[in-house]
Amino acid sequence: MATNVYMEALSPTMEEGRVAKWHKRDGDAVKTGETLAEVETDKAVMDLVARADGVLRQVAVAEGQTVPVGSVVAVIAAPGEPVGATAASAPPPAPVPSGSGKRETGNVATMTAPAPVVVAPLPATAPSDATRVKASPLARRMAKEAGVDLKLVTGSGPGGRVVKKDLERAPSTAPAPPFPISRFPLPERSAAPYDDVPLTQIRKTIAKRLATSLGPIPHFFLTTEVDMERASEARDALNKQLGDRGKVSFNDIVIKATALALGTHRACNAWFQEDHIRYWNEVHIGMAVAVEDGLITPVIRSADLKSLGEIGREAKDLAEKARNRRLQPNEYTGATFSVSNLGMFDIDQFTAVINPPEAGIIAVGSIVQKPVVLDGQVTARRRMRLTMSCDHRVIDGATGAAFLQTLKQMLENPLAMLL
Amino acid sequence: MTGRRVRVIEAGRISYREALEWQRALAQARIDGRLGEDLLLLLEHPPVVTLGRTARAAHLLHPEGVDVLEVERGGDVTFHGPGQLVGYPILDLRGYRQDLHWYLRTLEDALIAALAQLGIPAERNPGYTGVWTRGRKIASIGIHVKQWVTWHGFALNVTTDLTHFDRIVPCGIQGVEMTSVERERGKGKGETKLWDAAVAAVMLGFARAFDVEVTTSRTGVTEMRPTAAVS
Repeated sequence: MATNVYMEALSPTMEEGRVAKWHKRDGDAVKTGETLAEVETDKAVMDLVARADGVLRQVAVAEGQTVPVGSVVAVIAAPGEPVGATAASAPPPAPVPSGSGKRETGNVATMTAPAPVVVAPLPATAPSDATRVKASPLARRMAKEAGVDLKLVTGSGPGGRVVKKDLERAPSTAPAPPFPISRFPLPERSAAPYDDVPLTQIRKTIAKRLATSLGPIPHFFLTTEVDMERASEARDALNKQLGDRGKVSFNDIVIKATALALGTHRACNAWFQEDHIRYWNEVHIGMAVAVEDGLITPVIRSADLKSLGEIGREAKDLAEKARNRRLQPNEYTGATFSVSNLGMFDIDQFTAVINPPEAGIIAVGSIVQKPVVLDGQVTARRRMRLTMSCDHRVIDGATGAAFLQTLKQMLENPLAMLL
Repeated sequence: MTGRRVRVIEAGRISYREALEWQRALAQARIDGRLGEDLLLLLEHPPVVTLGRTARAAHLLHPEGVDVLEVERGGDVTFHGPGQLVGYPILDLRGYRQDLHWYLRTLEDALIAALAQLGIPAERNPGYTGVWTRGRKIASIGIHVKQWVTWHGFALNVTTDLTHFDRIVPCGIQGVEMTSVERERGKGKGETKLWDAAVAAVMLGFARAFDVEVTTSRTGVTEMRPTAAVS
């Protein structure tokens, strides 16, 4: 059963309306309540809303075109329903007398019903002026139950009689449940108190691996603050030089520095195995990447031997593959140490969970400008906090601290890295 | 008294995009019945140029350095920025009148009453929506309605830097001169005091013109949303 879409009146005296913009095209599926088009008069825009579910057909008015109020501008057909000449064979839209008080609810007309357009004149003034309200018994009962003042409801039945459907969306004087008006968040909420979501494969793996980490592994944490002023300058210079051959991010710089520092601190570049510790000579850095429903750590192999430009390109490529779920197993296994960065979320400092069998991970915070004392003077510097999580079975306090100190020095003197 | 109430929310400075999302969410909630009361959001925007549904590119003269956005309100091009009191009523017009022309005129009445409170004689300019004083335009109006629930609204220049309007042909009216409360009253009062006086006057004007009781609350003034930039 098809439903006509009519040009609506933005005010009782309006005789014609201009379609400013179609939100839906011929053939689009539409749902009740969805905006089909915008109708415009000088400074006001009103949405023309679908009154039925179905498919938009026979769009008869172009954007920018003006047509009389009450004209059929399109038809909503049930999916697959032939609508050949329905609009044309339908009773012509009754011209709406000015001031007739034609309302949105009068907009719906089923194609099978005879003379469906409501044209019964109604007072153009606010409905609350009416002293006695015509309403069906069902509508009266619904109004009473819902605490609705019938005088405030515009009736769409014959002679302005209030019927059931008018009450289904009537302004209620009964208190509505509190709605969070605060700017954020305004999520669409389902009525259910909770949703059970089965664990995806990636969530299962994360759960298993992290439980075998934070539980059995005796973690300890070391934090240091790094001056990133020179690294920022070096990055700018490098990116200028690279031009369109890629971009180097701060994360790439941290990865490279970590790999270099591990080269001189082999004690931290190790795996804890059942009955032995494997000290790696190669340096493979895992970088944590957030994906839609979890995280994964693709690996930059031999990061100590690669240039910043190479690391930048590879990191970008791997992160993209990770997000598109295109990573091959050999691209996310075999890291000897990891880096996790939440700086882009304005996190100053955090602790990351070790990814076993690795023995350490660096958590990178955001780069923040703050006042620091330098040569007895207070100046603004870009600073970044690094926190290292260590597996105490492999790395002792002083061992970890010495590595972190080297890492800090490298980041603060980035020229060495670029050579 | 009609017994109608409108809750005024002073929301501070919010980016145009964010305020737009907020309005849309509130309006949809009002339509669905999840939001059970009418609201008036009062806020100001960082500098931004917006193009309404009838905007022409030729009315954008110097957009350099300012965000330009296309939005679904009625009207042409306008500027928003610090010192401009922006009001976004989220009203279910079925509780008032289902008549957008009445609504536009009543918004003008509200602003004229507010300006009278501030000692500024203001009036309509027939044929041009908005509020004018001594031949200059002081407030702009552009609205949107879906199922008789309103959003978008008005912008009253309080201490706005008026040179920003040189970037555009405001509202597409050639040769229009924009003005502000501060300019019409002359300097002297502190900026904060003038802003607070304007907020109070607008609330009073709104209450009178729409015949409603207004209640106020502040929200979200200091909240910040992190900008999630994934490398």
